Amino acid sequence: MASASRPVSMKVVSVAETQKDESFFEKNERLGRKLSPHLTIYQPQLTSMLSICHRGTGLALGVGVWGLGLGALISSHDISHYVTMVEGLQLSGATLTALKFIIAYPAGYHTANGIRHLLWDTGRFLKIKEVYSTGYAMVATSFVLSAILALL
Amino acid sequence: MLAIESRQILSRVGSLVARNQLRAISNGTAQLQQQAQPKEDQEPQIKKFEIYRWNPDNAGEKPYMQTYEVDLRECGPMVLDALIKIKNEMDPTLTFRRSCREGICGSCAMNIGGTNTLACISKIDINTSKSLKVYPLPHMYVVRDLVPDMNNFYEQYRNIQPWLQRKNEAGEKKGKAQYLQSVEDRSKLDGLYECILCACCSTSCPSYWWNAEKYLGPAVLMQAYRWIIDSRDENSAERLSKLKDPFSVYRCHTIMNCTRTCPKGLNPGRAIAEIKKLLSGLASKPAPKLETAALHK
Repeated sequence: MASASRPVSMKVVSVAETQKDESFFEKNERLGRKLSPHLTIYQPQLTSMLSICHRGTGLALGVGVWGLGLGALISSHDISHYVTMVEGLQLSGATLTALKFIIAYPAGYHTANGIRHLLWDTGRFLKIKEVYSTGYAMVATSFVLSAILALL
Repeated sequence: MLAIESRQILSRVGSLVARNQLRAISNGTAQLQQQAQPKEDQEPQIKKFEIYRWNPDNAGEKPYMQTYEVDLRECGPMVLDALIKIKNEMDPTLTFRRSCREGICGSCAMNIGGTNTLACISKIDINTSKSLKVYPLPHMYVVRDLVPDMNNFYEQYRNIQPWLQRKNEAGEKKGKAQYLQSVEDRSKLDGLYECILCACCSTSCPSYWWNAEKYLGPAVLMQAYRWIIDSRDENSAERLSKLKDPFSVYRCHTIMNCTRTCPKGLNPGRAIAEIKKLLSGLASKPAPKLETAALHK
């Protein structure tokens, strides 16, 4: 009853007048909304860590290939000259193997995880338990592969 | 205020008395128990909850973490119980979405203890030496506190046209007869149709964080696959061709955070891999085992 006497004025408004022509992102920026925290608060877990390492090792390999190629173009001597330079440093066998292992590890990791990715692309090992077991197996394989390369 | 409080106290005392009586009856020691005082002298079990706060109405305010102390002996077992308790008893300004409290509506999806899950089916860790951190779903625009803007996510879902599509609708008795589907074909939808679109998986995906405007994300892609693989749907080819660009599907790098975090135990990562197989021609959709429109003749 009370509502009947309440003064309400109504007018027709077209849809275009109320709906702003802006994207989801423009609207949120206009409203000054913050993005919720992501990378800094999300729990590190095997899934994402192995993935970011795949990126990292891929990047390292890319830099390695480009570095060697450009180095060959720019440098004044050929590679055997630099090999004798390293030999001249008189490093111990253990240090040399460790250095070789570090250089070989990106190749070992990227190869092992690459095979894991190929298997995934055929639809295999995609249950979360299998993702974890293949993950651990892949890390072990990467160490073996790199060790073999380092001992060559 | 006073009335509400006294009612709360009354109802709590009432339930306590009833509980003691019930225990006494089942023990057969009703008389002994009635003389003794109710035993509620256990130490309180205080758990700290650190919760993300941001209110757009406070101009210039930066998001911050607010700590609340909850006695777990006075609180239900799930994180949502604690949030509701905080809102009811300590701070009515705390804002979050919730509805079914049994893991079927997907409203209370948030980042709890570092991973995305539903607050209503996530048990509070009773180790009180560690505080529990609660954030909104990651890399989403925050409307307020734990409430993210889900519109982009819903729009992406709309884009995959999540409904059954037939080539010859006019020639079929739509709504008058069933479409047939073999048991085997139907079982392909298991593990897909149960998705509640809570967005836990999509917002756990780093690829979705960086490419939310073009990459559809695991939740929406799993629903895309749900319709692509349905033996009754005849628009699979069109559905697949809409996904062929470099972003919609192919921003997925099989990180598998999605499957790891799904509170319903589903596997969006596998569904995306199946879409990639279909797109690459490594697999193709099998013909229906039963003639779908047999009852429409």
